[in-house]
Amino acid sequence: MKLYETTVVFDPGLEEARVNEEVERVTQPIAQAGGEVIEVQRWGKRKLAYMIRKRRDGTYVHVKHKSPPELIAEMDRRFRLNESVLRHLTVLAVKESKKTLAAAAEAAAKAAEAASASPVAAAPAAE
Amino acid sequence: MAREGEARSFRRKFCKLCFDKVDRIDYKDDRRLTRFITDRGKIVPRRISGTCARHQSQITEAVKRARILALLPFTSEQYR
Repeated sequence: MKLYETTVVFDPGLEEARVNEEVERVTQPIAQAGGEVIEVQRWGKRKLAYMIRKRRDGTYVHVKHKSPPELIAEMDRRFRLNESVLRHLTVLAVKESKKTLAAAAEAAAKAAEAASASPVAAAPAAE
Repeated sequence: MAREGEARSFRRKFCKLCFDKVDRIDYKDDRRLTRFITDRGKIVPRRISGTCARHQSQITEAVKRARILALLPFTSEQYR
């Protein structure tokens, strides 16, 4: 069992319910294979840096999970067959050391102070 | 304008990421990564940005991952 991070970019045309359904189709096999879904982050609709299949936006979903390595290949295969998936990426998640956790907590505290939270780890306050 | 024989003003380059005490660069953090790509979308070389070896290799990895997810461009639109 390894710790992974999977990000999937769905077609922006999918409605909320369909996205939920798709997310379900990612998380369910993980649980079935004896893995564990740790976190599901929805970044929502974002502008793509370049056009993919004539789409300018994408619905981003980020899943942190513990899965058996064999499942990743299967997951990859399913994403590629799925027409509503524009892009997908699974990487090994780095185990957070105590030092990074402490730094992250500090940065979060600072960000909260500045009251300008961004969806993804806020850039260090440049004062 | 610099006169002949007069040295151009030099500022020692330093790794901005070390300065900020960044431990790890995340491919999801596209806002930070945009500082390390040119307007054409290329990765800025170390000799320009002054990044240290450790952070530069983290940047390259992160930028490449971010490109796959279309968080960052492979190339800028107007040059295509």
